[in-house]
Parts: sequence; C-alpha cells; structure tokens
Amino acid sequence: MSVVTAGGTRVPPATPFLVRLKRRLVVLWPFTPITLVLTLLFMIPLGIMVVYSFWTTRNLNVVSDWTLSNYIRFFTNETYLRTFGKTVLMAALVTVAALLLAVPFAYFLVRYVSARWQRTVLLAVIVPFWTSYLLRVYAWQAILGEKGALNQFLLATGLIDAPSRLFVYNNIAVFIVLVYMYFPFAALAVYSSLEKFDFNLFRAAQDLGARQDQAFRHILLPAIRPGLITACIFVFVPVLGEYLAPTLVGGTEGVLISNLIINFFRGVQYPAGAAIAILIAAFVIVLLVIFRRYLQIEDVVARG
Amino acid sequence: MDRILTRRNFLQGAAGVTAAASAGAFLAACGGSSATPAATAAATSAATAAPSTPASSGGPLNFLTWSDHWNQDALNQAKATLGITVNVSELSDNSDGFAKLKQVGGQLDMVSADALWVLEYSKNDLVVPFDLASITPSDGLYSISKSFEFFTAPGGYLAYPWGWSPIQIAFNPANVTTTPDSWQVLVDAKYKGRIVMENQPTDIMLMAARAIGAKDGYNMTDAELAQAKSFLQALKPNILKFSSQGSETIQALADGSAWLSTGNLGAEQKVKDAGGPAINTMIPKEGTIGFIDGEMLVKGAENAAQFVPYLTFGAQPEWVAQNFLDNGRPLFNEKAYKLLVDGGHKEQADRFLYNKPELALQMTLKGPGGRVQDYIDIFNSVFGA
Amino acid sequence: MDLLETMPVSKRAKQTRWAFRAFGCAVMGFLYIPIFFLVLFSFEDSKTVGFPIPGFSLRWYQAVLDNQALQDAVRNSLLVAALVAILATIIGTMAAFPLVRGNLRFPSVIRIFVTLPIMLPGILLGVALVTFLAGQLHVRLSLLTVIAGHLVFTTPYVVLIVASRLQGFPRALEWAAADLGASPARTLRHIILPLIAPAIMAGALISVTISLDEFIVTFFTIGSQLTLPIYIYTQIKFGVTPEVNAVATLLLVATLGLLAAGGLLGAVRSARAAGRPKEES
Repeated sequence: MSVVTAGGTRVPPATPFLVRLKRRLVVLWPFTPITLVLTLLFMIPLGIMVVYSFWTTRNLNVVSDWTLSNYIRFFTNETYLRTFGKTVLMAALVTVAALLLAVPFAYFLVRYVSARWQRTVLLAVIVPFWTSYLLRVYAWQAILGEKGALNQFLLATGLIDAPSRLFVYNNIAVFIVLVYMYFPFAALAVYSSLEKFDFNLFRAAQDLGARQDQAFRHILLPAIRPGLITACIFVFVPVLGEYLAPTLVGGTEGVLISNLIINFFRGVQYPAGAAIAILIAAFVIVLLVIFRRYLQIEDVVARG
Repeated sequence: MDRILTRRNFLQGAAGVTAAASAGAFLAACGGSSATPAATAAATSAATAAPSTPASSGGPLNFLTWSDHWNQDALNQAKATLGITVNVSELSDNSDGFAKLKQVGGQLDMVSADALWVLEYSKNDLVVPFDLASITPSDGLYSISKSFEFFTAPGGYLAYPWGWSPIQIAFNPANVTTTPDSWQVLVDAKYKGRIVMENQPTDIMLMAARAIGAKDGYNMTDAELAQAKSFLQALKPNILKFSSQGSETIQALADGSAWLSTGNLGAEQKVKDAGGPAINTMIPKEGTIGFIDGEMLVKGAENAAQFVPYLTFGAQPEWVAQNFLDNGRPLFNEKAYKLLVDGGHKEQADRFLYNKPELALQMTLKGPGGRVQDYIDIFNSVFGA
Repeated sequence: MDLLETMPVSKRAKQTRWAFRAFGCAVMGFLYIPIFFLVLFSFEDSKTVGFPIPGFSLRWYQAVLDNQALQDAVRNSLLVAALVAILATIIGTMAAFPLVRGNLRFPSVIRIFVTLPIMLPGILLGVALVTFLAGQLHVRLSLLTVIAGHLVFTTPYVVLIVASRLQGFPRALEWAAADLGASPARTLRHIILPLIAPAIMAGALISVTISLDEFIVTFFTIGSQLTLPIYIYTQIKFGVTPEVNAVATLLLVATLGLLAAGGLLGAVRSARAAGRPKEES
C-alpha cells in the first residue's frame, strides 16, 4: 500500500508509532537489568559522592558547606597535577606493553592450540590470578628485590658485579607488576575477538601477493579492532585507579594518583578524596568522548 | 621452645581454672613437649565452673576488630559454654571501621579501635560507655588502664583496655654504627634508601611533629607544619618503601635491604625468626607515638546483652596471656603478666615492656588530629610524584 | 582450522609456528614464575613471607587445617565469586545485545555509563555503597550486599567483552535460520550464543578473578563475615604469614587439578568421538 509523494516517487507508509515503540522495547528490554543494577547500586551512591565532593569535612563528618576548595586543590597544588600526569603516562605504557604481549599470545592460542585445549590454556592463564594480589606482589618483590631471584641470576651469570636496586621500589617495578597484573584481562579481551577470525582470509591475502606482516596489519588487526579497544579499556582505565602495586613495590618513586586519593580517604576526608577521583573519571569520560569514533562497536543495522 | 603454643594444649589445661593449674600447663607447654591436655570435657566443665563467668542468655555477637584481638579457641569455648556465637569481621584501619560503623549502626555490637579514635566514636554518638567493673576480669587490669581520661565518659568507660605498643626505631647495628637516639637519624643522608616506615600518613605526621618538637602534635601551627614539611622532604630520599603490613618491615630488615625502620614492639625477635640479622631498637629521646586499643560497645547494638558476658569470658588473664604469646605486644592485664612470669616468660614480657603500662601514656596516641586534611595535603605534597 | 592443518606447510610457516609456540611458553612462564615463589614461600618456616628462607616446614598447611575462620572465609569468597560470575554474565550478556544492535541514539553515552564503574577507585565505591545501602536504606549488610557491590564493577567487563564479540556478527546466519523456520529464541540459543560463547566465558572468568580478590568494597558491604581478601588484608598490624600462601597454594592446586581433569576428560571424549564416524561410514 505505497504512497505517492508530491515528487511522484513511491514510498512505503510510515510505520505506526505503537509498532515502532513495540519493536524498540523488544530490542531494548535486555538492557533493563544492568540499568537497574547500575542505577541503584552505582549512580545513586556515586551521586552522593559527587555532592560530597562539593562539601566540607568538619571533625571527620561531612557537612553541607558548599565549596569548590576540593577541586581547586587539585589544580593549585602542582603535586596532584604532576602525579596525575605521571599516572596517565604509566597507564598508557602499561596498556601498550600488555597489548604487545596479549595480541601475539592470543594469536598463538587461536592459531596453534587445538580448539579443545584453548579453553584449558585460557583457564591456566587466569587461575594464577585467583590468588591474592598481595601474595603475587610479594612474590614479585622476592624476584626483583636486592636479594631476590633476578639479582641472584644476574650475579651468577656475571652480568653484574653487585646486587642491583634497579628493579624494585621504583617506577620500573610498578610497571612490571602492573603489566603482569593486567595482562590476563587484555589477553581475554583480544582472544574473544580473535577467536572468530577466519584464517582463510590470510591464505587468500597471501595468494593475492601480500606478505605475512602485511596480511597481519591490514587484514587481522582491523578485524579484531573491537577486541583491541576493549583490551585498552580493560587495562588503561583500572590502572588509573591502581594504588596497591605502587604502595607495595613502588617505594617513594612509584606513587600514582590513587595513592594520594587513598590517603585522604584513610583520614576520613571524603570530600577531598572524592573530588580528585571524580576529576579522574571526568578525564576518562573526555577521552571516551573524543575517541568515540574509534570505539564504535555498534552494528550499522538497516532500520526495519 | 615452640613460640606458638598449640592453643588447644595450653587452654585445655588452663581455661577458667586456678592460676596455679594454668601456670602448670604453661610450664608444661613451654617445656616443649605437648603437655598432657586435660580432656576436652573436663576443660569445658572447668570453664563453666569458673566463678567469673556469669550465666548468659546466649546469642550472637557481631564483632568488628583486628585479627590479633580474638582467637578461634576462645570463640569456640564461648559458644560451647556460654552459647554466645561471636561473628567476627575484620578491619585494617581505624578510619574504615569508623566509616562503616557510622553507616551500619546497630548491625555491629562490638568494635575495636585505637585510643584517640575511641573519642571520635564517642563524639559521633556511635558508642556508649559501660560499667568497667561489671566485666569482672577488669579487676586484673593495671589500675592505670582503668582511669585513662580518653576512655572516661559520664556513665562509665568507653572501651575495655586491650593492648598497646609504642613505635620504636629498629636499626641494624652492623650498618648503623653509632647508636641513634633521636628521630633525626631518619633524615641522616648516610641512610639514603635504607629506611622502611609504615604506610600511615597521619602517623608519619605525628612522628614528624615529635621530631620537630611541636607542642601539640595533632594541631600543629602553620610554622610547625612548615618545619614538619622540611623534615619530611629530608626524609623522602631515605625511604626505601612504605609498608602496608608489619611483616613487610620485618622482611626488609631481615633481607638487609633496610637498615632502619619504624614499627611496633617485637622487631628484634621477628627479624631473627625470619632469618635476619640481630637488630636493636630504641625509642627516640623526643618521645614517640603509639597505640592503645580497646573494645567498645556500639550504641543501639542489637546484641548488647552479650557484650559483658563475652568480655567477661574472653578477657580472662589466661586468654590474655596466650594472646601475648601469640602476637607479641603488651596488654593491659596485670594478672596475665603474673601468669606469664610463672610460666617462665618473664624475660620476654619485660622485653615487650609489659609491666610498664605507664609508658603508654607518654606516647602521642594515634588518632585523627584536628588538622587532618592539612596534614594529608602536606604529606601528599611531599610524597606525591 | 583442520583444513589449514592438513595443507602442506612451508618451511617459513614451520618457523613461525615454532616461534609462536616458544613465545606462548615464554608468556606462560612469565605468568607462573611469581606463582612458583608464592608456592615456595608457603613451605617457609618463618612468620614472614619472602627471602631469606630460614628453613622449610609444613606448619602453615597445618595452620590452615586448624584455622576455621580462614576456611569459612575461603568458602564465602568462593560462594560470592560463583554467584557474581553467574549474575554478571547473565546481566552483562543481555545488555550487550541492545548496545550493539539497538540502534541507540547516543551509543557513546550508554557506553560511558557502562564503563563508569571501573573508572573510580574501589574505596570511593565502597564508602558510597555503605553510605547509601546501610546509611540511607538501612539494608542489612551480608554476603548478599557484597554480591551486589561486586556486580557493579564486574558487569561492565562482561558487557564490553561480549559487545566487542557481537559486533560484526554474521547476521546472514540468523536470517538463514529464520528462513528455515527458527524462532528468535531458538536462533539465540542455537546460533548466536554458541558463537559468542568465548566472549561470555571470558567475561565470566574476568568476573570471578575480580570478585575473588576484591577487598575494599567487600569490607564496606559485608556483614559479620569474612572473605579471603578481608582475612588477608586485615592482618595488617602484625603482617601476613605464610599461612596465606598455603591456602592460596591449596586453592591453586585444586583449580589446576580440576582443569587438568577437565581437559583430559575432554580429550578422551573427543578421541572416542573421532573414532566413531569411521565405523559408521
């Protein structure tokens, strides 16, 4: 029952509003549980914290004296800005390193491990991370420390003359530990995207004359882009909030911004801590908005 | 002698019975052989026969505390003999406990806290005072601990005194050749990257206050704060790391990466046990900080009725003495000291200053001061990136 | 995959294969070296964890067996982690579909909304949750509130990872199924879910990993119980003993053992199944 427009072309009639609404609801209803969970258990509590960030602490109680001083502190005390900048840099480096390990590893898993063992190997990758973070970091201390395994090894092979304090209680140690801690998340994210890749495309590309690395860069990477983006989010964002690894192996050099936030919280100064935390979240949001084109994971689906 | 007595061995012979018998069990256990324990049935009946245990209505008791304030055997016996089921949840920091109690109120019944936090809890109407004398083992407490002014409130006592420890400076005499006597040793450039301290910004500010001789550690004047900041800036290059746990400090001393540290009592023995060198400890001449802790009764606690009966059982000198042997810091029960002496542990108890509770009052007690936000801001400024 | 395996392989391809295999093993080694030390220290006859090792003993394993509170804590942790994984996986997978296919008008906003929970440090969330749940709503804290708290920052991971897999899903398969008469529910169950199963599994694994080691939010939302992380992190005044290493080693051995058993079982089953078609044809 098409309609003829003024221009003379035939157009289908507009879908009735109720039908459209019904179709939208059918598509959108699975989003309800997460909306409930996040609204009730996250947005409202977060709202409380946002309000707190504009209030003051008096005698360990948050009182409703409106103030911008908690935010001003971040911008006027250069320590906070410097530490934040350093944290962003560290997060970026950890993300790059984790991806450099995760992508080849996921490739190895999908390509060279038979299907029935893939799941087992993945589990074998993640099971060590079911032990306590604290214990794993203590183990790293035992490896990186002055009397630790790495130094023993280097001394034994004659590469150095005296135990080096290069590897522990500094930024390098924090970097190594963070890459270790976040590698599984990156690997899982890349794997779940890589697993569906059809390797016949590789063969086809090489038949058409592409070198192996060309095929890799132009065929594989674009295909697993959603997985790569997800892996970036899984590493970069939480590392901004990391405070335990810096405390345990960072010494005084490896301090990250969340350590400073925690110091406020441990002194029951919630407004002060909340303000800095919210600024970090705002920064991440700005990044996500700027890069939203790259982050497209929505399918372009024809309406109808 | 096995430092960790098997609690079962010890307590089966000791719980609730006369001092002589418990001392006997002590000595036997200390002798290294597993002492012939009294049969469990006899022990439990001994506990029920103990005059100090009042009849209890039984029920749950929700207890938020540190891991060294309770032991499983005591809880099991409390359940068996008194019908009190103690549900323990643990905290790592006073501020966490404070924040949580503020929100949950009567869902908790008993909370442990360090001295000056107790005042905060009371000021915020989170805990109620109780009659100390109603908890009969309190007559075995050092009298000084029964009259702490920071625990006294109209209507009773705010916390049942448990233990204390000053912060000492531990040092390896092989590396720190001149015996230090002052906080200033921490800023000596000789010790670059060789000092380990605990990761407690407010405590470190209190130590800095002591080091610069501030009049009121909790409320330093701006001038004093500036001095404290300079002290911290001089301290920063010397710090190897800030420990989250006491054991990290011990490890650092034991494996030689640290030459100096600040921490609770007992470092010498712990470092030796960990296979490390012999270290010495000292309390700086400017004075030190430390903690005194105790158990508080929550206001509006649902199971307030179990507070007195449980403490009457769990705070008995025998349990306290065992707690000392397990955890190694002085406690406020004088009768327990006598038990330890009778059990041959006098040397150890004295090393831990057990019989000198008056020293506890010479410390700056850990707690939030009046200028916490400024303190933390200054700490962040120095120790940030 | 099988087609590729039976094709003639060039020398270059063989080298690549060995290079990748070596890399894979190196990464597994990197992952397990700290675990080796973790297990080593569980046998340490000392009250502190780390070098120097004064001696070896099984006393910490004995301590675990005697420690009721620790065992309860482990049980609570496993229970919470299992429930969190199941719920987070269901909620997150459900949410991924509208995100990818829902033709949302402001997809970035929704994505930011979903990612927000992992942007904030845990202590902020913990304090906020206890203030809201206990302070405002007067909810009784228990393991249920812990699960609720964990869901907040595990569901985002599931959503994001399932969504990334769902993107570019060959719709032709679904249309073909519909042509053949399958209802949307059947298509979902037999076509879509099996094909996105790796992502769902990855999401579940991430949820378990996060939940098992979560301390600060758990502390604020728990009632009068303990979980393993709480037990570990609250030893602060006197420090962690190798007892914790012992319990971690036991858990590790148990899970790796189950894994190996599961892997072998699968291998045996596939071997048997591979044998059958030849007989039938």
